[in-house]
Amino acid sequence: MNSSNVAAARQRRFDELVGVFHQDMYRYAAWLCRDRTIAEDVVQESLLRAWKSLDSLREDAAAKHWLLTIVRRENARYFERRRLETVDVDNLTPSQEASLASQPNEELDDMRAAIYRLEDDYREPLVLQVLMGYSTNEIAELMGMKQGAVLTRLHRARHKLKDEMEDEVA
Amino acid sequence: MNCEKYREAIAAEPSWEGGETHLSECAACRSHRDDMRALDRRIAQALLLRVPDLEMPDLPGLDTSNVVTLPARRRIATPAWFAIAATVVIASFIGIRMVGNNVAYPSLADEIVAHLDHEPRALRVTDEPVSDRQLARIVPASIAEMNHEAGLITYARTCPINGKKVPHLVIQGKFGPVTILLMPDEMIDGAVQIDGQSINGVILPVGSGSIAIIGEADENLDSIQNNVMNSVAWST
Repeated sequence: MNSSNVAAARQRRFDELVGVFHQDMYRYAAWLCRDRTIAEDVVQESLLRAWKSLDSLREDAAAKHWLLTIVRRENARYFERRRLETVDVDNLTPSQEASLASQPNEELDDMRAAIYRLEDDYREPLVLQVLMGYSTNEIAELMGMKQGAVLTRLHRARHKLKDEMEDEVA
Repeated sequence: MNCEKYREAIAAEPSWEGGETHLSECAACRSHRDDMRALDRRIAQALLLRVPDLEMPDLPGLDTSNVVTLPARRRIATPAWFAIAATVVIASFIGIRMVGNNVAYPSLADEIVAHLDHEPRALRVTDEPVSDRQLARIVPASIAEMNHEAGLITYARTCPINGKKVPHLVIQGKFGPVTILLMPDEMIDGAVQIDGQSINGVILPVGSGSIAIIGEADENLDSIQNNVMNSVAWST
């Protein structure tokens, strides 16, 4: 295969992967940083990094995990570089909150706000499990922690959300 | 297992199917489990943020002159891939009419393909089989006799299709997850082919019911069909 064909095949492979996983990358980034604009920046940086290291991905079946790992690292790098505080969700305006939603729904908005208020350590495993379909083993691997700790965080996260939603109703 | 341990486990993983002995004796924990699963459905909905259109960054040119071959790779076989594929199929080839908050489907095939999109979590690539107990719960003897010849069953739930609750199973095919819907009361006149850019499938008439089998476009469904047909016998 000559170099131009290799480059074209590489580009096609990248486009295919990004087309499939862009939504997951964006949502994961948005829930990590809780800011739409920053999430877009993180995804852009992640795409660049993925492009540069695409040849290290040997199996496309592992692409989702590979890309989400890149997003996670880029998110950490972003905040290291900018030395930004994470967004204070209590200061989010309704319009900002709505802009993060896919469709307006009061009950879902309450749930979303409750998820925003979760500590990072609780929110991330919940997003990985519920949204990305990760097993607790996979979450433990991605987050570099023991499975038992993941289970504890997931259980606490759900109880916090349950309590918050019950308070909303009360 | 006591109530505290069970509730910790179910809150960490609401889809967990263990602790059945305890559940059979504890109505409060059964209720707690149902609450947790309902909460999880709301969490899942809330997490689906609107995603802006993809803006690809300027990608730098790379030196590929010393690259001889690309690494061997499998087709993508993930929930997201399949969900998107199903969406494309629905949008591009079949078309769905929205009626209020409900969706009216022009055919059984349309509803089945749409259902795949609604349960992307079912389409994980995994080698973890569902337990025999879970399989027996979803496919009780009153519906069908089923053995493990169909393949590695990695997902088993009861799902609504055409107003009836039917067993929804997933087995792992060569190119990714393959969905199987056992519909003992869904009689059809003849086999219905489901073709799309990314999926292929068939709904087969079986006695007074039918069985839907849908895999990725490149999946060879013939052998899977044979295995499924050999492993299922309606009880009704």
